[in-house]
Amino acid sequence: MTLVKEAPVRPAGKRSAAPAAGRRGRRRENLAGYLFMSPWIAGFLLLTAGPMIASLYYAFTSYNLFTPPQWVGLDNFTTMFQDPRWQKSVEVTLKYVVVATPLKLLLALGVALLLAQKRRGQGLYRAAFYMPSLIGASVSVGFVWRALFSDDAVVDRTQKIFGLDVGGWIGNPDYIIYALVALSIWQFGAPMVIFLAGLKQVPQELYEAAEVDGAGPLRRFWNITLPMISPVLFFNVLLESIHAFQVFGSAYVVSDTRCGPADATLVYTCYLYQKGFKEAQMGFASAMAWTLVIAVALVTAVLFWSQKKWVHYEEAAK
Amino acid sequence: MGTSRNVERRTILKVAGASAAVAGLGATTACGGDGGSGDGTVTLRYAWWGGEPRTIAIKKTIALFEKKYPKIKIKPEFTDYEAFWEKFQTQASGGNPPDVFQNAVGFLRKYDKRGVLLDLKAQADAGNLDLDNFRNGVLANGQVDGKQIAIPVGANTMALVIDVKAFEKAGVEAKFGWTWDEYFDALQTIQDKLKIAGDTGYFNIMYLYDLYLRQNGKAFFTDTDLGFTEDDLTQWWEDGYKRVRSGLVADPKKIEQVKPKSGLSAGLAASEFTWDNFSIRYEGEGESDYGLAPIPTTDGKDTGQYLGSLMLSAFSGTKHPKEVAQFISFMVHDPEVGKIMGYDRGILATTEQYDAFKPTDANNKGVAAYEEEVAKAGVLGKITPHPSGADVVEAAFLRIGGEVAQGKTKPADAAKKLFSEAKAAFAG
Repeated sequence: MTLVKEAPVRPAGKRSAAPAAGRRGRRRENLAGYLFMSPWIAGFLLLTAGPMIASLYYAFTSYNLFTPPQWVGLDNFTTMFQDPRWQKSVEVTLKYVVVATPLKLLLALGVALLLAQKRRGQGLYRAAFYMPSLIGASVSVGFVWRALFSDDAVVDRTQKIFGLDVGGWIGNPDYIIYALVALSIWQFGAPMVIFLAGLKQVPQELYEAAEVDGAGPLRRFWNITLPMISPVLFFNVLLESIHAFQVFGSAYVVSDTRCGPADATLVYTCYLYQKGFKEAQMGFASAMAWTLVIAVALVTAVLFWSQKKWVHYEEAAK
Repeated sequence: MGTSRNVERRTILKVAGASAAVAGLGATTACGGDGGSGDGTVTLRYAWWGGEPRTIAIKKTIALFEKKYPKIKIKPEFTDYEAFWEKFQTQASGGNPPDVFQNAVGFLRKYDKRGVLLDLKAQADAGNLDLDNFRNGVLANGQVDGKQIAIPVGANTMALVIDVKAFEKAGVEAKFGWTWDEYFDALQTIQDKLKIAGDTGYFNIMYLYDLYLRQNGKAFFTDTDLGFTEDDLTQWWEDGYKRVRSGLVADPKKIEQVKPKSGLSAGLAASEFTWDNFSIRYEGEGESDYGLAPIPTTDGKDTGQYLGSLMLSAFSGTKHPKEVAQFISFMVHDPEVGKIMGYDRGILATTEQYDAFKPTDANNKGVAAYEEEVAKAGVLGKITPHPSGADVVEAAFLRIGGEVAQGKTKPADAAKKLFSEAKAAFAG
């Protein structure tokens, strides 16, 4: 909107002389705008909005891909809530979100604090720590992870040095989820960069003043850094929890496409995928997808509601 | 001046946008080709699953076919087993499956019910497909409700693959007609003498449980349902779990770790039940020598065995049914093709191909000898039906059995779980 208002192309005198011509010109400009946007709009309608509306409809049907969908009302949802595997997938996903998100953010913040200090080779360190985020989502890393956490591999041998003989994590239903958590934490680069940007914004005077008042580093972190970067922290918490709810690739690859053993890595999306593409229950899968959307929306709403209590915006302080 | 330049630029961009849109349309129409072309050349899509050796061999057979039928071009598509069926399901539901594809008994009724499979009888009647010279009545494997919806390319049967060196060292012998008790005693001896597990996890294999049930007058499937009771399965899994805990059967955690390698070739156990043609793969994977041994029995005679098959099926909506039939006929009958494929998909199904291929290496010879022995013993029965949804049930059996082995689910609960999942699968 501001762009249109500030557009300086038209001489001021002409506007009052011929308002109709100006309106026509604006309309043409709008038309051109829509024309340029049309690939995106078409893509959005065809590839995003269309499928979403279709899946909302399928969520209330029984649909095996071959015969036309049959309306079953809320049946998919009622069977879903009673399905022990669905319950298991919720449990696994919540466990993953609750463990992986805070750990990842803690590490990201820790490293960001270290990298915020001026020192030689700073750019190199930042690039190095960010690197895993670039390649982390790839299938090959999933395979590397499988190899690292297998029986008698690096992790297993290291554990044994400390007297922890649990065998590899991959085949063990009690441990394999932590291999996924580790993979998530390893990719802390993206939130780290955001934290770095936040840390740069903290005014140095505050630290200087606090130092004069005799505040130690811990106190300065707790009373200055944390409140000052809380908007960034909020953003990261929001983004990372939404990501964590949607984890799929790593669970699928590390468990060798089975989301197991014994359903131990049956994260929500993994079960959704199995239902949709292996068992051809698209109605059920759609119902699952929409339940996830609603759950994530609820979590987001709760986070937004909670920010009043802990997120500190500078404007409010002024 | 400034305004007119703006207009000019806009016009140019509009033209550019319009031409891009047209190019896009062009691309979509180009995708919608039906595989035919002006000079009468027909293109067929042919899809299969399997490892690299199979793909190399099949590509050679395609080249051979294209040489003999210059008017037919074959476009290959291949992936591994899991990905194959996921992809196929999506393609088939979109009305765009390959013209010819590899198939197996667990999927016949499922895709027949959905109208995807071409009844090849009409093409056989028209003389485009030869249904003669199939060995041991194996042609029946591709028949459902009087329709011929698949043609076998190979036949195989379940076997016990053993680590020959381990069995020799432990001094145990696997002989025809041995009983389950004798088999488990052998596992005990192996464990006592060699300190390794005897088996990799027999109780999770649906096809082996099928044999066991057949030995006891039942079967895994009926036409529409499961052919056994919850109590049967509880017992089977309870015994299995007991043997995991006592170390007769390998630790499932370790078996899971070495995947996709088999526990047998990884040296975690001395034997494994599987299809006999799979034994060829172990030689490449593992360090020991591997051989085929008979299936244990309940009564010392009946093994419950039958000949299973990998087959070729065609899409009911193919635009070129005649060419498809010619292609399948060539692939199952041509002696040269038999020589190239060997026993990769099981013992060659037709006499022409069987006679043409004379195995020279120990593995293929072993498979041939095993099947001959089984046929001679006269134990071969007819294949049991696989209702629609059998593939989902097999996956559930493997998964739930894995939960039992890991100690995560009690056998009785696990059996209940399988029955409820099977019910849903048959309904779908």
